[in-house]
This record gives sequence, C-alpha cells and structure tokens, in this order.
Amino acid sequence: MASKRQQEYRAQHKRYKEDVAKEGKPFFPYAIYHDTIMSLVVVVVIIGLAVIWKYTADGTEAGMLGPLYEAKADPGTTNFVPRPDWFFYFLFYLLRIFKWPETVVLGTVGIPTLLLVLLMTLPFYDRRPERAVLRRPVAFVAAILVVISMGVLTWKGATAKESLGSETLSLVPGWAEQEGFAGNPVAVEGAGLFAESGCLNCHVYLGAGAQNLGAPDLSAEGAKGRGIEWQVAHLKNPSSKTPGSQMPSFASLGEENLIKIATFLEASKGPVK
Amino acid sequence: MAKSARQAQIEKAALYPLDWTEERTGLVGYTKWFLFRHVPRDVNWMQTLGAATLTAFLVQAITGVFLAMYYKPDPNSAYESIQNISNEVTLGWLVRGMHKWGASLFIILMFLHMARTFLFGAYKYPRELNWVIGVLLLVAGMAEGFTGYLLPWDQTAYWATVVGININATAPFAGPFIAQFLQGGAQIGPDTLAKFYSLHMLVIPGGIMAMIGLHMYLVLRLGVTSPPWSKTAAGRPRPDAEPTGDRTGLTREPSSEETS
Ligand code: HEC
Ligand code: HEM
Repeated sequence: MASKRQQEYRAQHKRYKEDVAKEGKPFFPYAIYHDTIMSLVVVVVIIGLAVIWKYTADGTEAGMLGPLYEAKADPGTTNFVPRPDWFFYFLFYLLRIFKWPETVVLGTVGIPTLLLVLLMTLPFYDRRPERAVLRRPVAFVAAILVVISMGVLTWKGATAKESLGSETLSLVPGWAEQEGFAGNPVAVEGAGLFAESGCLNCHVYLGAGAQNLGAPDLSAEGAKGRGIEWQVAHLKNPSSKTPGSQMPSFASLGEENLIKIATFLEASKGPVK
Repeated sequence: MAKSARQAQIEKAALYPLDWTEERTGLVGYTKWFLFRHVPRDVNWMQTLGAATLTAFLVQAITGVFLAMYYKPDPNSAYESIQNISNEVTLGWLVRGMHKWGASLFIILMFLHMARTFLFGAYKYPRELNWVIGVLLLVAGMAEGFTGYLLPWDQTAYWATVVGININATAPFAGPFIAQFLQGGAQIGPDTLAKFYSLHMLVIPGGIMAMIGLHMYLVLRLGVTSPPWSKTAAGRPRPDAEPTGDRTGLTREPSSEETS
C-alpha cells in the first residue's frame, strides 16, 4: 500500500490538476506572451553582446569583451595560458586548492563528481512535499552556501594571475645568479625556454610560478641526479618515466631545445647561498 | 446576421488545408490542445526562464549551422577559417559573435532556470525525472562549452584543452582511456580537433535535442507548478473542504521524519 506521504503527494497532484482545469488560464495568449517577450530579450542581448564584441575589439586586440581571437595555437612554445571558459573557472580554481599530489584527484574528479551526484539525486533524498522555500530550511541554507562558494571560486578563478612567458623571462638572470649557473650559457638558454614554455603554470621555481596539479617545485631538480637523458625522455613523454603523470608532453619543442631545458634543470641544484 | 452562402464557402475553402491535414495527422488537434491547455493562473515571470533557455539553445543551433559552413576542422586551417568568418564573410562576425556569447547566456539561463525550479520545489513528486533530465542537460551544455572552446585553435583554446584533457586523465578507471580517446594521439593535434568537432556539432547537440524533447513532454504532461507562496496556487491545501481529521494541516507542519 502506498505510504501516507505517497497518498498525500497523489492527492496534492490531483488537486493541482483540478485547480488548473478549473481556475487556470489558457497558455495562448497569456503565458506564451510572457515567454515571447523573454525570448526576444534573450535574442536582443545576444546580438548586443556580439555587436559590442566586434566593434570594440580588433583581431587579437582586446575590446570591452576581449579579443576576437588570440594568437594562433602553437604547441611549440610561449604563452601557455590555460584559461578555460568562465563557467569552468570554479573547477579551474578548485585545482589550485589541491596542491599536494595525493589530493589532486579530489579537486579534479572527486568533489565535482560528488556534487553532481548530489545535485542529480536531489529529488530522491529531499522527499517532503513542502515547496515553500522558507519552510525548507536545510535546502535553503545548502543552496545559499553552494551559490556563495561557486561565486567565490568563479571570482577567484577569474582574477587568478597567470604568469605569462614574457613576464617570467625577466627573472632568468636572477635565477642564474642564485643557482650559480650564470657561467653555463646552455643552461641560461634552457632557463629562458623554461620560463617561456609555460612550465611555471604548474611548477614553482625559486618562488616564481604557480603550483598546480601537484607538480613539484623544481628549484633543486638537479640535486636528484636524474641526468640529462632522463630529463629529455621525461619531457618528451612524462608518463614513460612517471606513470600516470599529468604533465603534458613537450616533444614538440624539439630535441635541441629539450636538451637545453634538461641542462638547465640539471644545473639547478638549489640556491647556492 | 446569418453568414451569406458566399462567406461560408470562402471560410470552408480557407480551412480546407487544415481539415485535410487534421484528417491525416491529427496535428491540428494537438496544436490546439497545446495552445489552449490551461496553465496555473498565477504563473510567474521566473517561469519564462525555461522558454528563454530554449530560445538560447535555438540561437546556438541556428548560428552553429552557419558557422559549420565556413569553419574548417583542421589545425592548418581552423584558425584562418575563424579569421575569415570574423573579417570577410558577410555578417560572419555577427553569427560568430552570437554563437560565442549565446553560449555563455545559454549556460547562465540554464543555471537561473535550475535555481527557479529549486526555489519552487518543482523537482518534487511527480517531477523528479524532469529534474534529472535537467541536470543531464546542464552537463551536456557544459560539455558543449568545453568542446567548442578548442575549435578556434588559438593559444587559449589549445592550452585550456591540454589542461582539460589532463584533468580528465586523473579520473580513476576510465579517466586515462577517455583522455586518450579525446586526444586521439600522443599530442593534441588533427585527431583531437576532428573529434571535438564531431562531438560539438553532432553527438552532444543531438543528445541535447532528444533530452529537451523529453523535458518538454514531461512539462506538458505534468504541468508547471504554481509559485508556492501564491494564495491561489493550484493544488493548495483546502483545510475547510476536508473533514477535520488527522490529514488537516499536514502540509503546514514540518514533517517529523525529515527536514530538508
Ligand atoms: C600542466 C602542468 C605541467 C606543466 C605545464 C609542466 N609540468 Fe612538469 N610536472 C607536472 C607534474 C604533475 C609533475 C609530477 C609528475 C611527473 O613527474 O611527471 C611534473 C614533474 C616534472 C619534473 C620532475 C620529474 C622528476 O620526477 O624528477 C620535471 C623536471 C618537470 N616536470 C619539468 C617540466 C618542464 C621543464 C616543463 C616545461 C617545459 C614542465 N615540467 C611543464 C606538471 C606540469
Ligand atoms: C537545455 C536546457 C533546458 C531547457 C530548454 C528547459 C526548458 C524548460 C521549460 C520550457 C520548462 C517549462 C517551465 C519553465 O519555463 O520554467 C521547464 C521546466 C522544468 N525544468 Fe527545464 N529546461 C532546461 C534545463 C533544465 C535544468 C538544468 C533543470 C534542473 C536541473 C531543469 C529542471 C526543470 C524542472 C524541474 C521543470 C518543471 C518546473 C515546474 O513544473 O514548475 N531544466 N524546462
């Protein structure tokens, strides 16, 4: 037999159907009128944004709504700007919170999956017939907390500073001095490539850069004694040396450049002072 | 005044195509039912958000078709084809701009629409499955955003996708396989672009359309809820009409079993 709650639900829906039949108003022309106005507003806003975008931007030059396109994709080098579309900023920022290698999977998969499952199954654990939001205190507070945290994460993601290759390049002389490889031109060149190739978006080097995806601090990588060959192989295919590595392949930089970077890494034995 | 024979004849001739179609399909009857079905008298402006989301999706579908006529899903020409659309093709900038900004609006509207159904408690019996379909639509909509982001093949697009695919790879079990499938090679390249293109313009939109169909079917079948605060809400409790007994007022008092 149906439970009491089930009976109540059914009675409520039956009353709903009767009320709508008796007291309701026809969809046309009443509700469809509001729907149409709202839809027109949506279309006008979209066209407005497209027009502002086009007329304030010029090619790769940003206008009020950003550039029409960035420079062409170049798997080879330079500005690695891993910026997702804004509605992924919250995930993007979540990644920065989980810095320790063992916890990365929590930020990338664990928490998002958990939240998604909670969202999808909401009607199956929130089963009281009550609809008025003020009489659903737990649901109400939970919703507000979710909205606030999504908002904060999105905002933090939007304002997070990316280290651009051109900015970090100026740090290279300082690095050479501190790590004591200023006399090794190949290592200095490698440091330049390292600064430009986006390594610092995941790695920290002498305090510069951002730690992401659990990537290690590389200030003393040379002290591990991996050797140039190992480093080059790792850069070409990180998971061949570290199974399951989340570091992308940099094979496209070319053998010659990779050797320079490897030389730089091996020369980095930690600050000399 | 009675209609003249001539007037009646004209009317009949004008309605003939409708009668003809109705006899063979029944669609005229369905359309009439759709238009003149009753909705609660107190529907609110917030309840237009679903229709607004639908409109945003249609804008994406239509502008997407036109973009697909000029876009070339290949790393050597994708970037140039986007430049061409933005700078050369007549009104190409408008179509591309609408598609780009419409995507954001579509996502925002989906979230707002979800917030409204949450606020109204509209996910409760008998509309549970429509909520589930809605969450799947939300996921599919964000997947459209992810796959579409790579297509212009500029720096942001490329590197955001590198990170996105790497994130995918961290998932336990299926993660590495999904990442490998998406990437389609040792590096993000032609295979990745072709896959993203096919997902973005065939697979995911097809799924979204099917799910919107189901979503609308359920909305028509179950009806939309009245705002819970409305004094004349459809389905409101009627304490006076019921004999005073243990059922009276049940909907007012917090249930002792759960609060959420
Ligand atoms: C998307 C993030 C990311 C980027 C970009 C990145 N790495 Fe990594 N890197 C990682 C992660 C995660 C690890 C740890 C797993 C591993 O060792 O492969 C790592 C490990 C390393 C290691 C340590 C290997 C060891 O075990 O001794 C070195 C050296 C390294 N990266 C160099 C680089 C260089 C050089 C670049 C730029 C050309 C770079 N990385 C770019 C994420 C990244
Ligand atoms: C492509 C995206 C979507 C479209 C086109 C769409 C469209 C609609 C429309 C037109 C309605 C009728 C009532 C209204 O307009 O408010 C509706 C109702 C509903 N939608 Fe959606 N929707 C979408 C996504 C979602 C999402 C993301 C959710 C929640 C997770 C959701 C949950 C619901 C529910 C529960 C109802 C019933 C509301 C009621 O009976 O009051 N929908 N949808």
